[in-house]
Amino acid sequence: MGPGLVTVIQSIGTYLPPWGTTAARCAGHDEDVVTMAVAAGRRAMGSSPAGTIRSVVLVSRDVPLLEGGNAAPLLAGLGVDAATEVREELGGAPAALAAAAAAPAGTLVIGADLGPAGAAALLLGGARGAELTLAGRVSRSLPVVTRDAHGEVTDYADPRLARERGVGVSLERAGLAGKVAAVAGLGHKLAAPLSAGDPPALPTVGASAAIFALAAVAERGGGRILAVEQATVAIADLAGGPAVPAVPVARNEPVPLPPPSGTATPGPGIAISLAAYERAFDAKLRLAAARCAVCGCLSLPPRYRCLGCGSEQPTELVDLPRDATVYSTTTVHVPVPSLVTPYSLALVDLGGSGVRLLAHVTGAPPGSVAIGDAGDMVLRRVAVRSGVPDYGYAFLPRERTEVAA
Amino acid sequence: MRRVAMVGAGMTPFGELFDLGVKDMLPMAVSEAIAHVDKGFDRSDIQAAWFGELVTTDGFAAGILADSCGLLDIPVSRVENACATGNDAVRHGMLAVASGLYDVVLVAGADKVRETSTRTTFWDWMGMTRDMAWDFPLGLVAPANFALHAARYLHESPATREHMAMVAVKNHRHGASNPKAQLRFEITVEQVLDAPMVAEPFGLFDCTPQSDGAAAVLLVGEEVVDRYTDRPVWVRGVGLGVDRVMHQHKPDMTTFPPTVKAARQAYAMAGIGPADVDVAEVHDCFTTVELIDYEDLGFCDRFGAAKLVEAGDTSVGGRIPVNPSGGLKAKGHPPGATGIAQCYEIFHQLRGTACNQVDAARWGLAHNVGGPTAVAAVTILSTDRG
Repeated sequence: MGPGLVTVIQSIGTYLPPWGTTAARCAGHDEDVVTMAVAAGRRAMGSSPAGTIRSVVLVSRDVPLLEGGNAAPLLAGLGVDAATEVREELGGAPAALAAAAAAPAGTLVIGADLGPAGAAALLLGGARGAELTLAGRVSRSLPVVTRDAHGEVTDYADPRLARERGVGVSLERAGLAGKVAAVAGLGHKLAAPLSAGDPPALPTVGASAAIFALAAVAERGGGRILAVEQATVAIADLAGGPAVPAVPVARNEPVPLPPPSGTATPGPGIAISLAAYERAFDAKLRLAAARCAVCGCLSLPPRYRCLGCGSEQPTELVDLPRDATVYSTTTVHVPVPSLVTPYSLALVDLGGSGVRLLAHVTGAPPGSVAIGDAGDMVLRRVAVRSGVPDYGYAFLPRERTEVAA
Repeated sequence: MRRVAMVGAGMTPFGELFDLGVKDMLPMAVSEAIAHVDKGFDRSDIQAAWFGELVTTDGFAAGILADSCGLLDIPVSRVENACATGNDAVRHGMLAVASGLYDVVLVAGADKVRETSTRTTFWDWMGMTRDMAWDFPLGLVAPANFALHAARYLHESPATREHMAMVAVKNHRHGASNPKAQLRFEITVEQVLDAPMVAEPFGLFDCTPQSDGAAAVLLVGEEVVDRYTDRPVWVRGVGLGVDRVMHQHKPDMTTFPPTVKAARQAYAMAGIGPADVDVAEVHDCFTTVELIDYEDLGFCDRFGAAKLVEAGDTSVGGRIPVNPSGGLKAKGHPPGATGIAQCYEIFHQLRGTACNQVDAARWGLAHNVGGPTAVAAVTILSTDRG
């Protein structure tokens, strides 16, 4: 893939976990790359019909299941058809930037990272919009930081070498030594000398940083983005100016709270039945109930015999409303083996559907939710059971969804 | 149906009985029941037996009862119905005698909650009552399961955490003088309110302890009762109610419909109403549950429980004493034995031999609810033959 590729950015969405500091967010214990990618992806999609998504590219170096199994929860969480192509790309900011400049219209490109945590997504659209042009790309090897298949990290710890022989030489090779509008993949201090003016401070340094940089540059009216990962770089230009339609950027970046100081109790692990997991998957990850063909009653979980009229006719899955009101709630303080306490549970009524769901409370300090509170159901990793991320919907209290100023 | 009488009852003390296995506890409870039959009782008279146990710790349940108690020549079956197991086992034994098939049966119950480490117990026991895909991974531990009811109940009713504490104080006061109780000490309302939080709104003293224990009763048909005693206690009513299993499907969590259904059946069979009950042993695994029980069993109007406990009506000496044994709260809660131990207490109350005797008690009621809150069983006992 070389320079000269052009795409059109239709919209950008971002997601930052509510935990940590403005400088570095951390994922909640119920979050991973899949749940964060879903949160950012849904923001980017906005009101676009799920049917317009033709493929999804997830760029990350932190995907949870290295043996496969990430694509289905990603599509289900996005509400996109399970037949949609998913490409999981192992990569950092340059890979995400190159994907954004190369993928066909109808592609949702998502970058997601764990440390610092965050995700950002963009939807590539049709003819009219802000064009993104890949200006250059160089891959070189200077692996000052390594992480092996077991997650073991070693750091060569020579930042000057990394700067001069890594980024510096790669930029020379690309023949693009001029200043840029934003730098993804480097901290603000290292980014400043490469930038024209004060570069936007980005919340992440991995794959998502490239899309966070695009969001910032879009908001500033276009410009050049440099994406860096060790000695690999990619450079792209986002069109701007009065003739270019503005790219809508939908940010889901709540004001960060200190991470909850929970107590993890060791335990035997939570057992799983993969047979039960598989049967529940579609309804559980798409937040969909079985609608009775006879009386229209909604059953969650779906069941053989209708909750309302007792019909045993085949049912169809229908999406449930995601706005929720707390019917009852409790916060567990007693240590529970294999879990972090305290945690809050809520029984919630889903927006006028007559369906009630039992869920964890997410994105708010334990014990902060009361009966009658309103919120939204969001995809979270409810538990890790025998190594399997068990996804489901959690209740996010409404006030925590506010966007940072 | 013919009349059925209870002629003997026995139980082990409840507690953390690390030194006793289920094969020890069962024969202890059964032998006590046999030994206290007024005119004597020959073990070989037992024609069938039912064993209530939730979690088996040493092999298959019915075989353990038969083997450990020398009952190798009769049919023995296990009954499991979540925390309603005990009173459901009594119901099975009662129906077997009432049908005329047997004249003399044994109903025993036991559980060893403390047989496994507290770490594994949480998940082992939760696995029995939670949907594997939807509820199990959420950590809906037993206190949280009832706390969702309690939080809503406090939201809708006039009851407060102070009223919950009054239940704990009362049951500890009763349990303090019960030699078989696990927690034999009195507590104050302040201690309850200041205790460490378990699952809101339950503090430590709002919760039953984890217990081991066994209990047994002997049931006989009216034709043979004179052989065993001149002071039988009659099993006048039994009932069992169920509900949707998942909390998601319970529209009103301020009440336990299974209790209402079970009580309606038992009252109708006995031909009495709630006002006729002189003493009751009800399921108080958590304090709020006892408040809800008052209403579901008809001891007061809906949302009238706070007033009832506030006035002392449910203390021994009050209008309708509840849990004179200390209840699950102070006596302990080995689930398979719990309902049968309630019948043990009512048996003694109606014979005038209880540790916290209710004056001239003629009608007594025993009640369990569980699973998570989708099953309840009620037994009504009386001195009145009917």
